[in-house]
Amino acid sequence: MENIIEVKSLAKYFSDQPALENVSFNVKKGETFGFLGPSGSGKTTTIKILTAQLAQTDGEALVFGVNASNLKKEEYRKKIGILTDNSGLYSRLTIYDNLKLYCDLYDVPDKRIDEVLGMVNLIDDKKKAVSKLSKGMTQRVTLARAFLHQPELLFLDEPTSALDPVNTKHIYKGLKDLKEKGTTIFLTTHDMNEAETLCDRVAFLNNGAIQLLDSPKALRRKFADHTLTVELTDGSKVIVDKGPGGAQTVYDYMSGNKIVSIYSNEPTLGDIFVEVTGRKLA
Amino acid sequence: MTFSMKRSMAILYKDYKDVSKNLYVSTTVFLPLVMAAIYGRMGIEAIDAHYMVINMIFSLVAAYVQCSLIAEEKEKNTLRGLMLSPASTLEILFGKSLLSFISTIAVIIIAAFLTGYNPDNVIIVGMAIILSAVFYIGIGTLLGLLTKSVMEASVVILPIMMIFSFGSFLTPFIEKYPVLIFIEYLPNLQLIDLANQVEAGAGLSDVWSHLAAIIVWTAAVFALVVAVYKKRMMD
Repeated sequence: MENIIEVKSLAKYFSDQPALENVSFNVKKGETFGFLGPSGSGKTTTIKILTAQLAQTDGEALVFGVNASNLKKEEYRKKIGILTDNSGLYSRLTIYDNLKLYCDLYDVPDKRIDEVLGMVNLIDDKKKAVSKLSKGMTQRVTLARAFLHQPELLFLDEPTSALDPVNTKHIYKGLKDLKEKGTTIFLTTHDMNEAETLCDRVAFLNNGAIQLLDSPKALRRKFADHTLTVELTDGSKVIVDKGPGGAQTVYDYMSGNKIVSIYSNEPTLGDIFVEVTGRKLA
Repeated sequence: MTFSMKRSMAILYKDYKDVSKNLYVSTTVFLPLVMAAIYGRMGIEAIDAHYMVINMIFSLVAAYVQCSLIAEEKEKNTLRGLMLSPASTLEILFGKSLLSFISTIAVIIIAAFLTGYNPDNVIIVGMAIILSAVFYIGIGTLLGLLTKSVMEASVVILPIMMIFSFGSFLTPFIEKYPVLIFIEYLPNLQLIDLANQVEAGAGLSDVWSHLAAIIVWTAAVFALVVAVYKKRMMD
């Protein structure tokens, strides 16, 4: 499958302090790629390099097959949507007027405004001034702006960090719809549930370097301890091995009709991150 | 490279809506008109007095309003949104300058009516005023890009206002301090000289050097604006 993003040995230093070191990864067309790590791990720096807002110190960053620093051309800008932590909106203008400006800048028909506002559940608020919106609503407007021109590649930096669970679910549905239409999504987050829900593959970033990269399912399998937890009718829990020895134990409990539930002991992405990096995600 | 007027007009429309709800900036436009009305009641006739009002309009409306618009875009991180859009540097800078330009020309026309200024050659004076407006908008854009907030911009613009609104007051010191000779070449003084010569019956061939001086200043400022803008596109 075609790579939309190719990063090779990428490094960025701020006054001799490394922000990224020897980072390499590819993002395939149509994939949702999660870049996971705690605050200060280099996630936003990577997005800024990939969107030509920051120059790397070393290495190569290709987007759509061209050097990221050449993405300032109109043809590439139209293919890319960006939501970063500092995506400013015009606070005195209404939601509609903010999106209208970007419709004109991206040559998108105005009817698209209602479509994206539907995606972020703000259709009834479009005449409200941005200054009157809550943090979560503002976040949803910036998301709507990133989706507005139906980009081929969407960079989302902590897209649901200010949202409540209901609106988060709404955004997830919108992102899944975009993915179905073929949009490639590069997502940074420190929310492991978000990564599990949305991402085809995830990279764990810590101290500016990638520690692990694979699909969430493959990572869980790799770090699983190959045991099952058997919950019994007396309320106790028994951990048994997934091998032949464990099978006999499970069979005995089943024969005695003592089992309430059985589940595989797979770690969450959060558990794996802590195990690999020794750091918690926050 | 193509130029999209639609994108520049979209930025103008956005700025118009934004400024119309921003009392801090929009009221600035009326200050020189108050001064023009007072001067008009006093019945001024000297060209220097008319141009004191006009140069104040350049400083307050062209430079200061433009500086505030750009500084606010930077302060609220909205300029980055424009920079990351398909709009080119030229489309953004042109669009961001249109509101200040239209306001400046409109305020000068109203002020000239209030003070009773009626140039002998409207075409030459009009050309010089349009070129000067572009120069001051360039100064405002440059300072807006160099500052981080509207508050900082309000402070930085003060010396510019002093030099360009009241620069003519410094000319008597040139004989005593030859180092100040450059003052004679400032665009505000070039404009006053041009206006005085036009009133004395001069034509385009007599005042071309003044127009050329203003063009050189304008080109130099916009070269700086583009360089600083391109630098601001990157962190």
